[in-house]
Amino acid sequence: MIWEQLQDLIRSYPLALRGLGMTVMLSLISLVLGTLLGFGLGVLRATGNRFISAAIGTWVDLIRGTPFLVQIFLIFFILPELGVELDAFTAGIIGLTNLAACFICEIVVAGIRAVPKGQIEAALASGLSLWQRMRQVVLPQAMRVVLPPLVGQYVLLIKDSSVVSAIGLTDLTRVGWLAVQRVPNGLLVFAIVGVGYFLVCYPLILLARRLERRMSAAHGEVKL
Amino acid sequence: MIEFRGVNKWFGPLHVLKDITLSVEPREVVVVCGPSGSGKSTLIRCINGLEATQDGDLVVDDKRVGDPATNMTLLRTEIGFVFQQFNLYPHKTALENVTLAPTHVRKTPRAEAEKAGRELLAKVGLADKFNAYPSELSGGQQQRVAIARCLGMRPKIMLFDEPTSALDPEMISEVLDVMIAVAEEGMTMMVVTHEMGFARRVAQRVVFMDQGAIVESGTPEEFFSAPRTDRSRAFLSKILRH
Amino acid sequence: MLENFSFRTIVEYLPLFGQGLVATVWLSLVSFVGALAVGIVLCAMNLQRGRLLQAPAKIYIDAIRATPLLVQLYFLYFGLPRLGIILPEFVVGILALALNSGAYLAEIIRAGILSISRGQVEAGVASGMTYVQRMRLVILPQAFRVTIPPLLGQAIVLVKDSALLSLISVAELTRAGQLLASDRFMPAEGFITTAACYLVLYYGLKGLAGLSEWWLGLRPMGSRA
Repeated sequence: MIWEQLQDLIRSYPLALRGLGMTVMLSLISLVLGTLLGFGLGVLRATGNRFISAAIGTWVDLIRGTPFLVQIFLIFFILPELGVELDAFTAGIIGLTNLAACFICEIVVAGIRAVPKGQIEAALASGLSLWQRMRQVVLPQAMRVVLPPLVGQYVLLIKDSSVVSAIGLTDLTRVGWLAVQRVPNGLLVFAIVGVGYFLVCYPLILLARRLERRMSAAHGEVKL
Repeated sequence: MIEFRGVNKWFGPLHVLKDITLSVEPREVVVVCGPSGSGKSTLIRCINGLEATQDGDLVVDDKRVGDPATNMTLLRTEIGFVFQQFNLYPHKTALENVTLAPTHVRKTPRAEAEKAGRELLAKVGLADKFNAYPSELSGGQQQRVAIARCLGMRPKIMLFDEPTSALDPEMISEVLDVMIAVAEEGMTMMVVTHEMGFARRVAQRVVFMDQGAIVESGTPEEFFSAPRTDRSRAFLSKILRH
Repeated sequence: MLENFSFRTIVEYLPLFGQGLVATVWLSLVSFVGALAVGIVLCAMNLQRGRLLQAPAKIYIDAIRATPLLVQLYFLYFGLPRLGIILPEFVVGILALALNSGAYLAEIIRAGILSISRGQVEAGVASGMTYVQRMRLVILPQAFRVTIPPLLGQAIVLVKDSALLSLISVAELTRAGQLLASDRFMPAEGFITTAACYLVLYYGLKGLAGLSEWWLGLRPMGSRA
């Protein structure tokens, strides 16, 4: 019986592959956009004037404080009312990019703050402009702190992309949901879906761990 | 009281203790000195089993260290250990630091342990700091609490691993004074330190180590006035210049 | 259409949102307690030297971390009946949240224990404490304080994650928003109100986290020179 179900599922592999492809594409596009936006917001938040910094901080808080499912519903159902026509894929990209940008912004801010003040003073003393200070002195050093949680954030992003299935996007999770209507074996179907995500996420988790180990080894510090 | 017979130890390929033979008598105070990386901390950490030896015999208080038949937990209650970084428990007050092991390991009744703890803290000059947390104390005060913490177990031996190296210069003497008092009461002590004034005043013997081996051993007078090897002369000229 | 934003309808639906809020709070609370139990067991297994206990804990933690909660939720929701286990939706939801958050809590607790410096362990060893005494008297009390802020952080994540339970028709906050959206075709009113309710919980927990850090700051732990 399980064998027949498995064969049935294997026959529908084109759909599964399309779902996996959709998940990867959705994640990848939002990952790139979210990283760019997140770094921009982070630098602005850390160096901008108090008003800009507070505005970004408030937005980040609003996004961090609400479930992604609710955000995706808001985007998908309310933007059309404002005259913006969008499909589930675009809504997913907007939602995930925004979510990633907000979390990455916080990671970047923490990274910038971890750079010793003396470094900034040294750069100031040698007459570097704000942009030069950021690019030449602060960000390269901040990256050591930023990189491990950044990769961890990518894992969260890929997993959060599954939520977009709730508005009907045919991603990997949605494919599972469709399959389970036909083949009534939820354990099997979602175990396979889980393996799909695992294959994408686990290498990233390992990478994040390696980066973290390398960083703490390089610093040799005791965390308290 | 403490007896090393041909003890060797390796950290991977690194030979950190080379054929150590050394005997410490009851009530004797031995100062161990030498350049950094010479193995002197490792030497005293072996005595209470914080580090394992790989070869040779190490007998402490008539018990063989590293022998499965020896109850190390029990043996450690007889050996006080003072760390370079104090290692006070940050979530306990000074008095609680002193009474923790007596009440839980020795099963001393709480009231009795506290009375003894107060006396010990008063003895190290901290009668007004019973309820202070380590973070509220200076380095010198913390180290004095650490010494009181060891004394609370009424040990037969006390080991000091560079007890003043982490201290600001003005706090060193307050800790040394306490150590001198302990020595004068007849405690068996091994002290890793570069404080030569302390060595001169209370040590019966100075042991000089370099590259994992004991290079020279003698009374403080001999060692300071007539060091026998080039390495000890070079070492002494460096620390005495300060 | 947003100019027709209807506060009247929101007021009309307020009791529903109130019930949703209460449901979200207690679902999260029960799940968190369950997650703590799962996390402590996993962490204890993970800290053992023997592979027999360590390996399953590590595999479980990795499997949970590398797959989405929604997939885990569907796995239980569609899978348990297959095993003949029929449970109410909300129980399935609590189970999924506890099993998921438990994996993260295990890592938080482990990090807390490992953050205690070697010197503390050695001080305990040197004064003749047994493994259990060192854990109980020296390590855990310190690890507990280090762990409180990240524990509250995970509680925030859990509250937000509980929104996914609406997808298996558990009546909670997000479900209340969905009902208003579909009954009256007012998604803006529905989901903005939902979001506002979550923000109340978020700022509440965030305030608590800040308070705990302030409290921990009162008696700072640093005894390092």
